[in-house]
Formats: sequence, structure tokens, C-alpha cells
Amino acid sequence: MNKWHNPYSPVKTEVIDSIVETPTIKTLQLKPQVPIAFEAGQFVELTIPGLGEAPFTPSSRPSVTDEMFLTIMKVGKVTEAVHLLQTGDTVGLRGPLGTGYPIDSFMDKEVLVIGGGCGFAPLRSLMYTLFERSKEFKKLLFRGGCRSAQDLLYRQELAQWAKRDDLDMKLTVDAGDTSWKGHVGVVTMLLDDIGMDCHEGIAIVCGPPLMMRFVTMKLVEIGFQDQNIYLSMERNMSCGFGKCGHCRLGTYYVCKDGPVFSYDKIKPFPDIWS
Amino acid sequence: MEFLSRKNFFTWLEGLKTAYQVFVPCKKGAYRFYKRYTSPADDIVIGEVRTTEPLKGFFTHAREKVAEEFNPEAPPDKNKPFAIVGVKACDLKGFLVQDQVFAHQSPPDPFYARAREDNLIISADCTLTLDTCFCLALDHNPYPEGHFDINLSEVEGGFVVETGSSKGRQILEKHKNLFQEASPAVLDEREARRKNIVAEVVSKIEENEVPYQEHYPGMVERNYKSKIWEEEAQRCVECGACNMICPTCHCFMLTDQKSGDQFARFRHWDSCMLRNFAQVAGGGNPRSRLWMRLRNRFEKKFDFFPKVADFYACTGCGRCVTACPAKIDIRRVLKRLVHNE
Repeated sequence: MNKWHNPYSPVKTEVIDSIVETPTIKTLQLKPQVPIAFEAGQFVELTIPGLGEAPFTPSSRPSVTDEMFLTIMKVGKVTEAVHLLQTGDTVGLRGPLGTGYPIDSFMDKEVLVIGGGCGFAPLRSLMYTLFERSKEFKKLLFRGGCRSAQDLLYRQELAQWAKRDDLDMKLTVDAGDTSWKGHVGVVTMLLDDIGMDCHEGIAIVCGPPLMMRFVTMKLVEIGFQDQNIYLSMERNMSCGFGKCGHCRLGTYYVCKDGPVFSYDKIKPFPDIWS
Repeated sequence: MEFLSRKNFFTWLEGLKTAYQVFVPCKKGAYRFYKRYTSPADDIVIGEVRTTEPLKGFFTHAREKVAEEFNPEAPPDKNKPFAIVGVKACDLKGFLVQDQVFAHQSPPDPFYARAREDNLIISADCTLTLDTCFCLALDHNPYPEGHFDINLSEVEGGFVVETGSSKGRQILEKHKNLFQEASPAVLDEREARRKNIVAEVVSKIEENEVPYQEHYPGMVERNYKSKIWEEEAQRCVECGACNMICPTCHCFMLTDQKSGDQFARFRHWDSCMLRNFAQVAGGGNPRSRLWMRLRNRFEKKFDFFPKVADFYACTGCGRCVTACPAKIDIRRVLKRLVHNE
């Protein structure tokens, strides 16, 4: 690496496609000029040239480095511009940033992945990795929930996952409708009879802060150990390497030490869910 | 150690101008500001006490271009580096924090690292104190003991000169005809003056009842739910002056700009006292209330940094005390935190 390598500078990236997922969520298919290798759980900063940057965890396969998919909800200035992007447009990518999931340490364990709403996006990337290595784990479970059937990401792909022998999957929606044949209710409901050795198991949670809070409480209640619960923390990440100060959480910077943390690490800090 | 007469001092500054943009503290009314050195002038004050503005602006500019288009390398700096003269010990202590953030933690910030490497620090002993000085409470003296290339201690007729780096030694060597060996008498004078200034700071600390840092461990955690924060934040107007003027505050924000087909990224000093500092795009804000942000400021300086880097991120310079329009006095807050058992 050059001595004056510039960590603030993004890699020029072409928009290959923009896929509509839900009324408020799109997935960008991107081709960076320089391949970007990342681990599941790490994130990137996406630049809209001249407008600004925002952090996203890729929703694509970490083993593919010449293309990257980002699934993005329209919530602010940058993401509104993201939703206007078209094939052939130029954007920028900085990364990978942060620390991914310690997947090697899940060996021979039962692994439970719990997603909520937009949290399906980063979890898809993790699930691809877990599927590639599924023989290493004793059992692989996925529990997911979102507001309504319309808000469910990757519906067709989830239907394929449901057929997999190496996955035990259940989904729920908060409010059902005629198109939905599955469970109705919040995702914590699906944890009641989870049928795994909770004390030894690994749980990975990603979703809105409120969902993560209730899921974490539930996991602790059914016997998971704090150090085996992995959470994706949401903070205002800007520089992505622990310098700009915005995303501090206790003695950590979420961008550098996270965004994935085991619960025991952050539990001592006040106000982690706010 | 060497001796430099006041007359030779100005000749030396003139010589430094070849390689550096030389900045010296100048007095304006009751305050001192860094100004570009042009020629000898009566308002240049090498000793005395800290400038109004912090030193950090020579190392991370208040607004600085950090990326252009998709160029992976840092844009070159076409200007001569700075030689900053008359830097005081409290500003040098700021390097503990700035270096930890921008240089020691990977990846290094190329702009800061380059400035640290190229800039020349010619520090100076304090020869007077302000009412707001409390450096000794933070365990450092009102005279430089490290982090300088060359230090000047004012004595009768000139300065005792000490070098603190190989860069400093090279510079002295280059201009050696201007320097002579310091006599035992001027060295004694330096010691005597240092003793006096220490006594002055101690008396300021006592007058203002500022607690010493050995009493700080646990004070923020212990008072996390205390009413102190709400009471102290009551008059805060969220101007962010305390952050801008602090030699240890390092937080910044990035903004992008377009000009024609090109875009550029800028880094600006930011303030954790401002409402949207920690807010995420979805609207969530872990510190939505002003008092939470005031608490965060103290948590960062007196809880986070001692835990992750083993020092308090305060230099006792007292700038924030003077800058705050609401008179939120860090010394009073520290006193309340320490004594609120």
C-alpha cells in the first residue's frame, strides 16, 4: 500500500442494475473497478458523487469480489438518490470496513440466524457463507419477521431456502393478508419452541433496534449465553475507520470494532438500544 | 543546551522562511493569535501563555479537501510545511489524542501523518498564566517536556534552546552560527522561572478548586444518571465552540461537493454537542437531548480515552471555559463530578 494511500477516496463503480424489492427497498448490482473482497458482516460506504456517502452491508456473496449487491431502503438524502440510480450510472465504494462475523468459531455448533425487516439484507450475505460451509455446523436455523408480506425481502429466494435440507427456516409477518399463508405475529414468537441446545448455541440477530432489543431479551430468557449472541449495532458511521467519532458506543467505535458485536461486549454500556 | 539572543532569534526566523511558512504568536489586546511571520515586531510574544486558537488547525484544517474524484492517492500538498513557533505545553499534550486517532490507529490519516512529518514545532515555556489555566491538574507542566522539535525558554536577553528531535537538531546545526552554548547562569534562570510558573498554576488550581486527575477515575460512570448533566446543559446554546477550540477534540464530518463533472470530499471539524451528531438517516438518535450530549463530551474525554488509551483527553488549557457563551465551566463540572459521591 502506498504511504499516502487515501482511505477517504472511493473506488469508481458502475451500476449494473437496480432491482425493485419492495415499495421502499431496492437492490443495486454494482461493479467496482477494483474488486472488493469482504467478510460477511463487514460494510462499505456507498458514494453518490457530489452528494454524499452512506454505510451499507452488502447483501451478496462475500466470495464474489468483482460484483457486489447492496439492498437499500429509502430513508434519507443519499438513499433517495440511490433509488433514482439507473444502469450505467457511476457511484463509488469504500471498503470493506469494520469487523465481520467470527464464523470459524461457530464450528460444530447449532447456529440460529434471526432477521427483521431490512436486516434480511446483510443476513443474506451471511447465509450464503453459512450455506457454503453448512457441513461445519451441527444445525442451521433461520427465523425471520417483517411488518407485512409486501415488506418481505427476497421472497423468491426465501422460497428456495425453504426447500434446503441444511436449513430449518420459519418466517412470520406482523400483519397478515390474503397472500400470506405463514405465521402471523412478531419474530420472538418463533423462538418459543426453537428446538436447539440454547446454552451452547450461536444466535445472530440483525434488524431494527427495537426488534433486536426484544429478540436479545428473549434469547437470554431461553438460555443463550451473552457471548454467543451476535448483534448488528446501528450508529451513525461516517469515516468507517474509527476517526470521525460519530459512531462511538461505550469504549468502541461501531464502524471499526463492529458493526457486529457479541452481546457481552456491549451489555455493560448504558443506552445501547437507543 | 544552547542560548539564542533575541536579535539572533529574528535572524533565525528569517532563515526558516526558506523552507517553512513560519507562524508566531502575536498579541492583540488581551489575547494571542498565530500570525504569519514577516518581520520583527513588538507584538510577537514567544513566551507568555497559550494562543486563543488551538494548535490542531495546523494539522487537521477546519475544512480540508480529503478526496478528489476516484483518485486512490491523497492529493499532494503544494504549500511549504508550517514552522509553528511559541507552541505551549497544553497544545503539545493535544498531540497525545490527535496522534492516537489520526496517526497510530490504522489506517493512518494521510493528511495528518504528512503534516506531522513535515511541520516543525518550536515550542516555548509559559511565562505567565491565565485565570483559566489548570494544566498541572492534568499532570503536565506549563513548560514543554516532549512532542517538540525545538523548545525555547525565555530568559534575560534571549532564549535557552533545547532540541527534542533529530529534525530539531538538524535545524540548529544548519543555523549554528546564531547559537552559543548556554551558560550555567541562564540555565539556572530557566529553572527559577519554571519553578515560579508552576507555583502560579498551582495557585490558580487552588483558587478555582480544580480537582487533580488522580480523583477522576470512575467519576463519569458514577455520575451517569446524575442531575449534574441536565443542570449544566441548561444554558448551553449548542454553538459547538467548546469542541472547535479544544486541542483534543478530533471529531469531523465528511461532505461531498460537485463542481462541473468533478466531485470532491471535504473533512470539517464537527461538534458532538450538535443535535444531529449521532443521528442516523432513519431518524434514530442515541443522544437526542442536549444534556446527553454534554455528558457524552465528558464521557469521551474522561472515560473513553483513559480506558482505550490510558490518558485523559483534556490538557487543562481552559480554552473551553473562555469560549463558552453559557459559562459552562469544565473546572466546575469536574469539581461536581469528583465531589458528588
